[in-house]
Amino acid sequence: MTGDPLRQPVIDALSGIIDPETGHDLVAMGLIRSVEIEGARARVTMTTTIRGCPMAEMLRLGAEAAVASVPGITDAEVTLEWEPPWTPDRIGGGVWA
Amino acid sequence: MPGKHLARWTLSWFASALSFLLAALALAVPFAPAPGAWLEGRGLALVHLLALGWLSQMMIGASLQFLPVLLARPLPWPWLSPLSLALTGVGTILLALGFIGLEGGGTGLLALAPLPLGAGLGLFLLMAGGTLLPAGGWRDDAGRPVLLALAALILTFASGGGMALAGTGGPVAISPEALPFHVGLGVAGWLGLATAGVSYRLFAMFLIAPDGGGRLRRITAGAALCLTGLLTLGLGLAGHWPAPGWLLPAAMICASVTAGLYIADIAQVWRSRRRARPEVNMRMTRPALAFLALAALLAPVAAIDGRFAEAAVFAALVGWLSGLTLAQMVKITSFLTWIQVFSPRIGKQKLPQVHELVDDAACRRWLGLWFAGAALGTAALLAEHAQGLRLAFAVLLVAALGIAREVRAIRRLAHLSFAARPPVLPPLFLPQLRMDPT
Repeated sequence: MTGDPLRQPVIDALSGIIDPETGHDLVAMGLIRSVEIEGARARVTMTTTIRGCPMAEMLRLGAEAAVASVPGITDAEVTLEWEPPWTPDRIGGGVWA
Repeated sequence: MPGKHLARWTLSWFASALSFLLAALALAVPFAPAPGAWLEGRGLALVHLLALGWLSQMMIGASLQFLPVLLARPLPWPWLSPLSLALTGVGTILLALGFIGLEGGGTGLLALAPLPLGAGLGLFLLMAGGTLLPAGGWRDDAGRPVLLALAALILTFASGGGMALAGTGGPVAISPEALPFHVGLGVAGWLGLATAGVSYRLFAMFLIAPDGGGRLRRITAGAALCLTGLLTLGLGLAGHWPAPGWLLPAAMICASVTAGLYIADIAQVWRSRRRARPEVNMRMTRPALAFLALAALLAPVAAIDGRFAEAAVFAALVGWLSGLTLAQMVKITSFLTWIQVFSPRIGKQKLPQVHELVDDAACRRWLGLWFAGAALGTAALLAEHAQGLRLAFAVLLVAALGIAREVRAIRRLAHLSFAARPPVLPPLFLPQLRMDPT
């Protein structure tokens, strides 16, 4: 739910992860596709700048750890999706949906 | 799984290639032939140490790392990589010794060199082709030039092997008339087109730019196909039928057109970048591309004047390809080092950024010196000035040593504060044993 009080803390946690290449955080880079909260469960869908990104899995695991550390969240799941692909126009656009 | 698209042996390829570069330059300072005498044994040995040992090993190492990343497809049979590295290394050393033997001392090693070299390159072709072909690389703007480059590598090796056997009286011999086409396929075909293909997507990533593509890239691929076709025709005719006089100049004009289109494409990527201040590897790509433009201007004249041919090949091999490779080596090494050391801690603590592993000013200084040496060497070849050429090699050697020192500092995290460094660092250039084998 987009109006859930835990949504913003989860987005804030994701904003704490800095892309080491660009210096932007995951949200500012436009790499977070969606954030869904159901009770104490958070489901996040993210992407990477290219499908074969060698850091994809490490970024996913890092995002999952950050979301799981949000008070009130007991179950965090972060998945990767690449369609439609990320483009530089996504930078600064925040969470896609 | 973590790092599933990471190749394990990239830094070993880089270390081997860098060793070949330093050895070639150290030998070139006292022993480089005078301008106009580069077809002597010593000259051929130095050229092949640079083209095969340095540039080809760097290109193979980078391709095995980035083809799976760019095509999102794992490398098949990655365990062939160290075997390919060892065989290409041994083959290059035998070839260089064989060329030196042409000046007295026997040509046995020259006949032997194609065996390990062919086996090493063949293993690379299996891995690269096994990634590109199932991914439909010929439909991809970046894949097309790389596939053409692989075809050019096969032809370069076949013609070079044939000429080596001709020099030793072997059963399969290719006429020395094939030499300009062999050089064209090696420099413009294999090294040039592979660099172009990989750089299209890599530069877009480094600059945070849209992955261009489109009409200009398809026209460039058409010009590259034309270039490869003309050079292959010349190779096929050499020694059997007299090659028409227009063939080599036409191929060189085609090379210039391909280079011009490629530069225009990269300029477009540069203009559309979202990274406000490009890092040192991309800033120093501009002088490298200026050397490509210079080589493209010299190429049509090179077909009729040997002095211009030597200068064009030097500008391409040393100024463009080596300058670009050294600049990107700094970036790729820092990127891979960051992944090895810091990626398991993402989301758990504050981490340094990739560029903090690099001393930007020092890299800019050494790369600047490299380009100064490349300019001096090109000018010395044009002026037929032997001492100037040796001085250029000395300048290039100092610059290469400076860059090698910086690469070592990156691997040792020497530019980070003591507190930011982990207690145990990864090996300098060998793979980490604990890493996933894919």
